[in-house]
Amino acid sequence: MIRGGRSYVTSPPSFSNDAKKLLVCTGNTVSVFSAATGLQITSLEGHTAPVTTLIVVPASTPAQKILCYCWTASLDGTIRHWDFSGPELLKTIDAQLPIYSMVIPSLLSEPQQIDKRRELSGKLVAFVSVEDISVVNEGSKELRGHIRRFNLAKPRVPRGDTLKETAEPESIVISPSGEFFGICHKCKIHIWDIPSGGSRHAVSRKMTLHHTKVINAFAFHPTERVIAAGDVTGRVLIWRGFGNRKLALGNQKKKVRATVDLDNPGVRGEDDTESCTTWHWHSAEVNVLNFSSDGAYLYSGGREGVLVVWQLDTGKKKFLPRIGSPLLYFVWSPDPTLSSVVCADNQIHLLKMPSMEILRTISGIKTPPSLPRMYEGLASTVAFDRSSGIAALCTENYCVQLYNLLNDRGISEIQVCERNHQPGDEITVVVTAVALSLDGSVMSTTEVKLPEDGIGGLVSLKFWASEPDSKTFTLSTIVYEPHRDARVSAIAFHPTRSMAVSTSFGGDFKIWVCNSDKKQTDKDSSWICHAVGSYKKKPMTAAAFSGDGTVLAVAAENVITLWNPYKNILLSVLGTTLTPVTKLCFAGKSEFLVSASHFPRPELSVWNTSKLSLSWSYGLRIEAVTSAVDSSAFAVLAVIPKSFKTDESNENIFRGRDGAILLFNGSDPKPVSIWTVIKAKGGSISFLEGDKSQLRLAYVNGSREYVVFDPNSDESHERSAVDYDSLTGLEETGDAGYTSLYGQLPDYDKKRMEDVDSLATPFISSERPWETIFSGSTLNFPPLQKLCAEFFESLMEKRTAVVE
Amino acid sequence: MEEELRVRLNDHQVSKVFPVKPKSTAKPVSKSETPESRYWSSFKNHSIPNLVSSVSALAFSPVHPYSLAVAHSATVSLFSSHSLSSSRRFSFRDVVSSVCFRSDGALFAACDLSGVVQVFDIKERMALRTLRSHSAPARFVKYPFQDKLHLVSGGDDGVVKYWDVAGATVISDLLGHKDYVRCGDFSPVNDSMLVTGSYDHTVKVWDTRVDKSKWIAEINHGLPVEDVVYLPSGGMIATAGGNSVKVWDLIGGGKMVCSMESHNKTVTSLCVGRLESAESRLVSVALDGYMKVFDYGRAKVTYSMRFPAPLMSLGLSPDGSTRVIGGSNGMVFAGKKKLRDVVEEKKSLSLWSVRSQVDETRRRALRPTYFRYFQRGQSEKPSEEDYLVKEKKGLKLTRHDKLLKKFRHKEALVSVLEEKKPANVVAVMEELVARRKLMKCVSNMEEGELGMLLGFLQRYCTVQRYSGLLMGLTKKVLETRAEDIKGKTEFTGLLRNLKREVNQEIRIQQSLLEIQGVIAPLMRIAGRS
Repeated sequence: MIRGGRSYVTSPPSFSNDAKKLLVCTGNTVSVFSAATGLQITSLEGHTAPVTTLIVVPASTPAQKILCYCWTASLDGTIRHWDFSGPELLKTIDAQLPIYSMVIPSLLSEPQQIDKRRELSGKLVAFVSVEDISVVNEGSKELRGHIRRFNLAKPRVPRGDTLKETAEPESIVISPSGEFFGICHKCKIHIWDIPSGGSRHAVSRKMTLHHTKVINAFAFHPTERVIAAGDVTGRVLIWRGFGNRKLALGNQKKKVRATVDLDNPGVRGEDDTESCTTWHWHSAEVNVLNFSSDGAYLYSGGREGVLVVWQLDTGKKKFLPRIGSPLLYFVWSPDPTLSSVVCADNQIHLLKMPSMEILRTISGIKTPPSLPRMYEGLASTVAFDRSSGIAALCTENYCVQLYNLLNDRGISEIQVCERNHQPGDEITVVVTAVALSLDGSVMSTTEVKLPEDGIGGLVSLKFWASEPDSKTFTLSTIVYEPHRDARVSAIAFHPTRSMAVSTSFGGDFKIWVCNSDKKQTDKDSSWICHAVGSYKKKPMTAAAFSGDGTVLAVAAENVITLWNPYKNILLSVLGTTLTPVTKLCFAGKSEFLVSASHFPRPELSVWNTSKLSLSWSYGLRIEAVTSAVDSSAFAVLAVIPKSFKTDESNENIFRGRDGAILLFNGSDPKPVSIWTVIKAKGGSISFLEGDKSQLRLAYVNGSREYVVFDPNSDESHERSAVDYDSLTGLEETGDAGYTSLYGQLPDYDKKRMEDVDSLATPFISSERPWETIFSGSTLNFPPLQKLCAEFFESLMEKRTAVVE
Repeated sequence: MEEELRVRLNDHQVSKVFPVKPKSTAKPVSKSETPESRYWSSFKNHSIPNLVSSVSALAFSPVHPYSLAVAHSATVSLFSSHSLSSSRRFSFRDVVSSVCFRSDGALFAACDLSGVVQVFDIKERMALRTLRSHSAPARFVKYPFQDKLHLVSGGDDGVVKYWDVAGATVISDLLGHKDYVRCGDFSPVNDSMLVTGSYDHTVKVWDTRVDKSKWIAEINHGLPVEDVVYLPSGGMIATAGGNSVKVWDLIGGGKMVCSMESHNKTVTSLCVGRLESAESRLVSVALDGYMKVFDYGRAKVTYSMRFPAPLMSLGLSPDGSTRVIGGSNGMVFAGKKKLRDVVEEKKSLSLWSVRSQVDETRRRALRPTYFRYFQRGQSEKPSEEDYLVKEKKGLKLTRHDKLLKKFRHKEALVSVLEEKKPANVVAVMEELVARRKLMKCVSNMEEGELGMLLGFLQRYCTVQRYSGLLMGLTKKVLETRAEDIKGKTEFTGLLRNLKREVNQEIRIQQSLLEIQGVIAPLMRIAGRS
């Protein structure tokens, strides 16, 4: 079982001391990438919840540069100390509260001071931002975010003393010199100084800066008392000489007092700064602020995806434009010629400084494009190459990203529309669908140019031929307005020949063939229309080829029409469904045809095409359907209805999971296996048939995290329990879903109730402890609520056993 | 304003500059060029106009410099085949019907419609011999391939005469044709074998060594024979009659090998051409204005070219560098191609080496006092083992791309309208639609610019490729700028034209619908059966 597609951008990355490695928080693990190649070297595994903070212990002497120690803090409430060259876990400190942010000031101070301090008190002070979960249940008005001080040197940390309470846990920013730290909270910045004395009870002094807008980010100057803050409107504020009164060091106190009475330009109220200046260039919120190491420049960035370099003295600007995605973090490396900028589309760019060239990019799986309202649920933005395990994903910047699911690595990007994406602009061009042929040699995309004021709309269909060497696709054919001005609703490829079908809401479908059948070179290949068909002028909403390619099923709203794709002859019409069909899929090479519809009433139906009749149907909302090529197995991704989820007793079963993958076998209406998943909306599933003839199921969820697993083996559950237990995102609960689901199959509920014990046997192996729950007559069954709770208990027991 | 801007693109830049490109159009389905069609189309056109009437015959001298004899009305003009300039004229009493060079190229014979065959030295005005015997117009005259003493002629009296040129006497009358004799050719392998073609549909093979005899063989073409040629092997002949060309095997007993019937009108002349690969092709011209190249080995027409006049005669120079075709309107369509001359190349090479030596000495003499000193080495070419550092190619941006890049949308639209390339204008408009700025541009346009836009819309809004966008835009422009357009005199003409265009388009659409109405039931019936 393989998990991947995790976000690289949940928290800032960090360079190692020799600037050759980049540590990135990826869910529950920390991944270590090589800065030279951009490939992953290793990962630190151990946390059981997302890692939120990553601090590399800086080297104080050149000799220490090879040391690879880091601290991590996570939402699971532990702080861990690692040697990431190993990788090896050195120490675990249980803080007992979810940690959202952590700073360790003494690591940044002068080396001799550290040594002195360590000798003196043998302690390492950390300031953490935690969420006080004890107050959660009492009411939402409580201040849940706490800033606390911990001593990391002691093996067991008591509840540290609380410095500040806020409504939500905030992230802590520390000055590069390690003298100050602070948080921004709404329109204020709270700053503390760090007591330099060794005394344990020395209280940090605090000051506050005010602004009229919500502050998003701020940064400390490395040497001077200067703070830069960015707000939601795009202003950058520079406060100079903060804390001369309140945070002044003892011996300077009197000297500074004299300047207090002077007029401080731009300073709000009683704020303790000398001056405040405002720079305004960003048009949208500022997310990134960072001073250069010598303090001469300020780097800022925000939603518009432009990195701006301000010369601090003059306010002159330089730009790295067109990064194409909102910036989230900007991180310096110990090597002054290297820095990295992190974008919201899951990309980490390594920059060569000071020319700001992008050296290379560590590319995670890209986020799904935000679609206009009318396309929600209609676009199919993920396609799978079944043999190689590569997924083609539409991205926001009009590209298709090829992502290897088995290696968890981006391969390449193909620009579908020749446009640049500017975050924040109105969306005028949408890539609505991507499809891959079964052998992965041809890709097809459709895009819609939305009209302005009713003019200038354009639909185009593109066929791409793969270039096996470079793992990318080149444009083979563009078809403008393939169905006049009507939108393309679906594209499907023939399983064996180079033939494709596109259906449109305009009431017709077209069969396209590639003329490279005659053994021409790839360059000459082009796709031409082979046939056009329509059925009573009804909008065509979905299409699928049968396993051997002799039958083409096209859904014309409520009916399913079967065609001979070669001769374009209507073979027969399958009866009507209640609602328009949105998805069609043949169950492997069998005669069964799966159809799904979801508006206004969701329905999953299986038709027997040889008898031309409905076999069975469920009232489930289906997000995706896939079928295996060789067997008659097929899997659907169903969204669990809200009404069912909000049910008191089921809430703890699903624990935020909103979907389920159901694996069926041919005509059998009883699912073989069920897995519950999170973020099923916008998700996609597909069978992968690797060269080992091993059938695997890939699931990509709505936020593009994915899992690849073997649907037939039980082993994967246990492996996952050990390797990947309770990762964020997807979580397996084995067969738990069935019991939870069978209550919500309205059509077949009553009939199936009798079969429950026979249902249970095929997919639950004998050694499982919960087997007994289902034995006996259904009449003797306990009520559902009770059954589920019991069932889950048994499952929990088993898990702990495995972990230990 | 600067015309072009080159933008250096960084390799790792996340986003790129995408110039506005017009939509690609469908490529024609024509087959790619074959080497043969490339050969035949590589003749560069040189027309010789100014000849008074129909060019009835053409002949090339068999020896270098392959001078060309053109028979038109009562004149034979000699041209040099290099420059295609006229060098000498010979006049006749009547219209010249045929002309032929002797094997050494020193003499040529020509016959005219008065029935006289005359032999000229190409350097002298007066005829050397005048052969009178034909009682009707003479139609062809031919020298054998090697023999310098005899020639053969035929005419409307149906008699083929074999002449002794020196004595100006007929050696033998070859009798047998029942109608006008129009053409004939000597065998390339045997100087006494010849074929003649006549309007009695037959081609007869004669042997001049057998005195007063009948023909050796006879072939029936089926139509009046216009031309006949021996193919280079000497065993086969090709005949032209009506709109068909047929190839016959003489040795195999006069069987037809293949026939080519792709001409639409009477084929007037045949010629054997030789490709660079030394393969032979049969070239034919006809009254339909087409020249066709026929590969008789594969029975396939490999090249076809159209000329703007009915074609009467054809000639290909022996070295393959010149192709001339005579038209019925007095035009000679000549085509020349450059031949690779090995000797010349060598000469130029030696010249180069001399010059480079001169360069060498000069370079050594360069001093910083001379400006070339500072330019030295700039034109140096890399040698083979040098490692080339390639400069990245900049992206060329047009003016409207540059303006679009600066968000000067209206100016971009105006500048592309000035260019008068409709595909580009539509591409810019589509880009503006994608930026949601097209209507704003239209509402911001000044009067002159609006006139330009209306002119463009009037011309192209009914063009099928653009109408999807332009029809809607036209309507919007007229709606939004109604008050600006209304009273102005300069727009009235434009609007009138626009209205006319639209009305015409509506009419076309209606008639198309009518046609569709007629066809639809037929299709339905056809589909049912």
